[in-house]
Amino acid sequence: MIILRVDLKSPAPVYRQIVDAVRILLVNGDLSPGDALPPVRRLALDLGVHFNTVAEAYRTLEEEGWLEIGRRSGARVVPRTAQNRCDPQTGEAFERRLREMVAEVQARGLPRDRIARELRLLAKTLERS
Amino acid sequence: MSTETMLFVPLLILIGGLFHIMPGLTRPDLFFAVTVAPEFRRSSAARRILGRYRAIVWIATLIASGMALAAGMAVAAVLLQAIGYLWGLVSANRAVRAYAAAPSAVLEVDLAAPRERLPGGLIVALLPVLSLAALGLWVGFHWDRLPRRLPVHWGIDGADRWLNTTPATVFGFLAVQAFVCLLLAGLAWGLLNWSRRISTTGAGAAAERHFRRRIVQLSIVCEYFLACPAWFALFQPAAAVMNVWGLALATAIIGFTVSLMRGGQGGSHATVAAGAAPVGDRTPDACWKWGLVYVNAADPSILVEKRFGIGYTLNFGNRWTWVVLALLLVAPAAGLILLR
Repeated sequence: MIILRVDLKSPAPVYRQIVDAVRILLVNGDLSPGDALPPVRRLALDLGVHFNTVAEAYRTLEEEGWLEIGRRSGARVVPRTAQNRCDPQTGEAFERRLREMVAEVQARGLPRDRIARELRLLAKTLERS
Repeated sequence: MSTETMLFVPLLILIGGLFHIMPGLTRPDLFFAVTVAPEFRRSSAARRILGRYRAIVWIATLIASGMALAAGMAVAAVLLQAIGYLWGLVSANRAVRAYAAAPSAVLEVDLAAPRERLPGGLIVALLPVLSLAALGLWVGFHWDRLPRRLPVHWGIDGADRWLNTTPATVFGFLAVQAFVCLLLAGLAWGLLNWSRRISTTGAGAAAERHFRRRIVQLSIVCEYFLACPAWFALFQPAAAVMNVWGLALATAIIGFTVSLMRGGQGGSHATVAAGAAPVGDRTPDACWKWGLVYVNAADPSILVEKRFGIGYTLNFGNRWTWVVLALLLVAPAAGLILLR
């Protein structure tokens, strides 16, 4: 099972949630090169969102080099080679977003030790991969 | 008392019985088409609402049966029973809204869920239509071998309604049969391709797949059965063949219906038995009018699970639904105009 979760009450748009969720699956190796994603129509029907929402998410992932979208074959995960380089702004943006997110969840009451534990787990997963 | 009345009254009571058990067939967190907490069904408020609905249904059924028995008013009896059912449902729906719970906003989809396909592929679903087209061709080349009159309706004692054999009646009859078969094939295909899978993970997914497969199979089986009368009309087999056909069709429909009812709407009974948490039907309460009509322009599904009863209904907020409905109305109308 490869689960994609979308929260309709989240302030983040559904298209962005799909991109983020699929990217996590790709980075974690739950989706490997050669794996097929559900057709746009099927995923949109199952989520109850407009076809364009899913199509836009797939296009974004295609632009990032994760997917190849064929007219008949649908969306397929491809080996990612083109975007292994990283510009300096990406590192800065990552640091900023991480700090913002930590501050946000702290403000919403998530205990510090829980945040630290999650970050340590994430760091260990990254080191292993 | 006529034989028709003797058969008609038990039929009304049977339908009343179906209306009686219908609230128990829906998903556990839907009660009279409103999202509720699963334990609400066991509350005294729920029992009161259910009792009132059933009382309305049975009063309407008893009055309808009385009308059929005393005055032979079959159409009026059916109408009265339907009105009683709708009244009971709409008033129960209004009463339950006071206890509505917020449906979950989190959706889960298994990206690796198996694709659902027509059993045997498109060719199996279209075979009855193709067979009728082949029959039409055969008729075109062997017109002189056709009888003067064609039977188009059969009773227990054999054919009881006939049409004179003319190109308009023969090809019109074949076209109507082919249209009905195409409609059923379209329904089976549409169910797999135009409707939402509510559960794609866990026990709920397996039960729901089974439920959908059953409905698709029912549509295709009915399609094969409904292609037969055209062959019977042209080749006129013994009356016993028609009786066997009628009995087999009724048995198939009853068998599938009982199987669907045992599984509950969307296979929810099996889901509950497996201990999986109910997930509603993933449609907003606000989009259901009187618990019966679904209107949601933001939902790409054309077919959605009914909230009351078993099976699927149309999403009237989707413009493609109206295109399909227009085709369903225009095609027979065009056929009738051409036949004139």
